[in-house]
Amino acid sequence: MVLHGFVVVGLVGLFVASVALLAAAAIRRPRVRVHAPDAWKSYRFGLATFALIFLAFDMEMIFMYPWAVVYARIGVPALLDMLVFIALLGVGVAYAWRMGALRWE
Amino acid sequence: MGVAPALAWTIALSGGGAALAHAVERGLRRTMPDVDPGPAAPVQIGVERAPAQTDPWFYSAAPAIALFGVALALVVIPFGGQLVGADLEVGAFYYLVVLDFVSLAIALGGWGANTPDAVEACYRAVAQLVAYVVPLGLAVIGPLMMARTLSTVAIVEAQHRAGLWYVVAQPVGFALYIATGAMQGYRAPFTEPFASQIHGGVLAAYGGAQALVWRVALSALLFTIAAMGAVLFLGGYAGPIGGPIGMGLKTLGVLVLIVLAGRFFRARSTAETLALSWKVLVPVGLLNVGLVGSLILLGVGQSAFR
Repeated sequence: MVLHGFVVVGLVGLFVASVALLAAAAIRRPRVRVHAPDAWKSYRFGLATFALIFLAFDMEMIFMYPWAVVYARIGVPALLDMLVFIALLGVGVAYAWRMGALRWE
Repeated sequence: MGVAPALAWTIALSGGGAALAHAVERGLRRTMPDVDPGPAAPVQIGVERAPAQTDPWFYSAAPAIALFGVALALVVIPFGGQLVGADLEVGAFYYLVVLDFVSLAIALGGWGANTPDAVEACYRAVAQLVAYVVPLGLAVIGPLMMARTLSTVAIVEAQHRAGLWYVVAQPVGFALYIATGAMQGYRAPFTEPFASQIHGGVLAAYGGAQALVWRVALSALLFTIAAMGAVLFLGGYAGPIGGPIGMGLKTLGVLVLIVLAGRFFRARSTAETLALSWKVLVPVGLLNVGLVGSLILLGVGQSAFR
């Protein structure tokens, strides 16, 4: 029963991917090759620190979905549990911010 | 719905939604010529051209993956109690995950095209993903908590039974959804990955049928974001005008709201988008979760479960 829904997901994915790839592969007229310089140039990696903080928060989000579903049934204890969790993460953001990790330039 | 009708419905919804979003956005853009259209800019459908030094696999796969992600997300968007591709038990979570395929596609396409503008767009798109995912998740959590479910159909039913659209109980969450939805759809003021300064980024590197696939995917992306906003906050297909028509009107409303909101803010660079996200939107989102949690303890929206 659970898998039944995903049959549609699989079929839609298969169908769309096939059509789009066919559009790319089959409808191929001769192309004009446009010459442009290679893209290799230096990039700053301010993104890396953002990405690390993001990873921590994204993992937290995964825990929040099951929590959200059962929250209303459990009530106050669930709220307190999540507040502790959020407070710890809030401290994490504040620390990263203070240390300049949220600075791009 | 059986498997075959569900498949046909989702394909039709992807194409129809893309056409509708494209037409509406085109019309709205005409009234705001100063705003960078970003991914809504015209693509070179009639021109068969490609950069000479592409990575053929990444480059060709990118538009297909973008459309793949959007169509998979549309599977769980209900336009009626039975009119839904598949009512998955993990619907809302599934939606968030598969829609991020678009971000992957822009990164692959930008990297694969291997021109300076496209690779720049690749970096910007990845940075934008880092900016929007967490606050978007925090905005979506609110309706999930009130509806006690991840199923999109059950979220609509919970709003209907409680007689409460979650936009009324969670205006902060709705505003957060509109802001992060604009980021997720690369619409103004967050058009940086498709900015005119880098000549449209990834789009400039594609022509012909592949450009058309990008066009469909990026328009359907905006439609999908708007439709999910209508499901989560505006009561979806249940409401004063029920069924697909009412859901279509609500989707249109959210779509117009996202596009028009762009004209009131100046364009944000990637650095500003990241700063806005982590210094403002994430703290607001965390506060909103606490706020919604308190409202639920007070019984708001919970009459659906008595």
